[in-house]
Amino acid sequence: MSGAIGVGALLVLLAAGVPIGVAMGMVGLVGMTLLLGFEPALIKSGVVFFETVTRFELGVLPLFLLMAHVCLVAGASRDFFGAAASLIGHRRGGLALATIAGCAGFGAVSGSSLATAATMGQIGLPEMRRRGYSTALAAGSVAAGGTLGSLTPPSGALIVFGIIAEQSIGKLFTAAIIPVVTQTLLYMAAILIVCRIRPSVAPASPRVPWPERGRAMLRVLDLAALVGIVLTGIAIGWFTPTEAASIGASLSLLLCALRKRLTWEAFCEALAQTLRTSGMLYVVIIGALIFAAFMSFTGLAEQIEALVHGLNSGPTTTIVAIAILLLLLGSVLDGLALMLLTTPILLPITNALGISPIWFGIFLVRTMEIGFVHPPIGINLYVMQSIAPDIPIGRVFKGVLPFLAVDFLHLALLIAIPGMALALPRWLG
Amino acid sequence: MDPVSPPQPPARGLLFYAGSAGLLTVMLIESAAVIGRHIGVPLLGALEIVQAGIVPAACAAMLIAALRGAHAAVHMVTERLPPLARRSAAGVGAVLAGIYFLALFAGSAWLAAEYWNSFEQTEVLHIPFRPLRVLVAVAAIAIAGAFFARAWRARQSS
Repeated sequence: MSGAIGVGALLVLLAAGVPIGVAMGMVGLVGMTLLLGFEPALIKSGVVFFETVTRFELGVLPLFLLMAHVCLVAGASRDFFGAAASLIGHRRGGLALATIAGCAGFGAVSGSSLATAATMGQIGLPEMRRRGYSTALAAGSVAAGGTLGSLTPPSGALIVFGIIAEQSIGKLFTAAIIPVVTQTLLYMAAILIVCRIRPSVAPASPRVPWPERGRAMLRVLDLAALVGIVLTGIAIGWFTPTEAASIGASLSLLLCALRKRLTWEAFCEALAQTLRTSGMLYVVIIGALIFAAFMSFTGLAEQIEALVHGLNSGPTTTIVAIAILLLLLGSVLDGLALMLLTTPILLPITNALGISPIWFGIFLVRTMEIGFVHPPIGINLYVMQSIAPDIPIGRVFKGVLPFLAVDFLHLALLIAIPGMALALPRWLG
Repeated sequence: MDPVSPPQPPARGLLFYAGSAGLLTVMLIESAAVIGRHIGVPLLGALEIVQAGIVPAACAAMLIAALRGAHAAVHMVTERLPPLARRSAAGVGAVLAGIYFLALFAGSAWLAAEYWNSFEQTEVLHIPFRPLRVLVAVAAIAIAGAFFARAWRARQSS
């Protein structure tokens, strides 16, 4: 009962606009005070606060953020889009395909859906409109492509999940690779189908000569090497995710300097942005951990687990039910809040059902991604509208619909074939 | 959309330099440790320096986020409120945040007092925990102060 009241109180606080981390921490603190007493609650919160701030594994978060901000300064988004556009931009729907490929590439250095959508939107959207693409397809492909940033390693969402669920961030990153590749391919398939049905939405453009294509590809070689070193290094055990973040941040600074883009001003701006975002994430993580501690005392997860057990439903039915619940909650909560609220409740249930927590992390972030593009929250839709205010929100949503259909198909595949997420970490040991 | 516009702190003040120094120290030490390990020159105690370096970075980052009103929140309901109600909601949220960080201060100060005479230190480099505990407690009270100041501004503007 106390757990359900806690969840209800949290939803009220979130709706009232209280910062997510504060709302979770406050509910956790008050809840533990009521269950255990004031002194234990205060001490437990103090322990969580100190341990979180001094956890060296958490260094992974600001360092990957620094890498992302430095890569942005180095012109990563423009170069990824440019390379993909020069290769396939001349085909019907080619620029939309290039946008998806650019989002996947930029997602691998930004680790954030919002940053990917906002950055690629400023580059891809005007170019597609200039070439006569339908505004719905143009905005839809950027909004949907932006969600790739959430799952593409080094994903910020996976890092936060790894910390809250106490799972290996390296394994989560490796597990995300096949889902990201298949999601990218499915998005591209959606564009090709839309262009086949309605060719007028994406006219073909002039072909770029091969020497120019070669130059565009060369421009992303260093960025691809950076991403390759970081991800391969984690996957084959050259370094831990925290070390990978340090190596990635150091190499991105070197890369930016070699590209002659590393001015003092740009360096300080990258640091300032990193600190601001890291501060927000630290508060969220501390709050989520305090809330998770409270949830573990309430026994809510055990009660739901017993209920699920009593229904005699198998793991697949339970996961489908969880997916529906997450999609419904995703209509009223933003992605981060959704993940932090549900992880302490749902993870023990899936653990009891013998479902891998690594798979669950990928599934949760994948479901959360869908919330970024479906109304009423669909934050990426609003990002698109802020970049191009003349495109009505309804038109952006219309453009996202084919991708949303593909999202549901991809989620179903992920549930039906858990190996999509688990094969690579298993294979790499 | 922030209904309470705080006076923005200078972009490159003490907090910026302290946080950046911590972050860059962590980055350099860990990079050196990885390279050292692969060329056969292990950097002993690197993790302990990282642990000590991440504390000022995290504390400064949280304080910067609080001062700049950069905390993640759900705006779906509050955005639909009239301006006065929105400012009031922001004020209430800031008061709650202030109380929450005050509780975190109390908890971390309690622990610092408890462990003060146990002379906690890291194993290899013997970095003392006392300054880290003090820094964390000071950060908590400073963040609480930032939120209370924010609540005060919300009250003034409504």
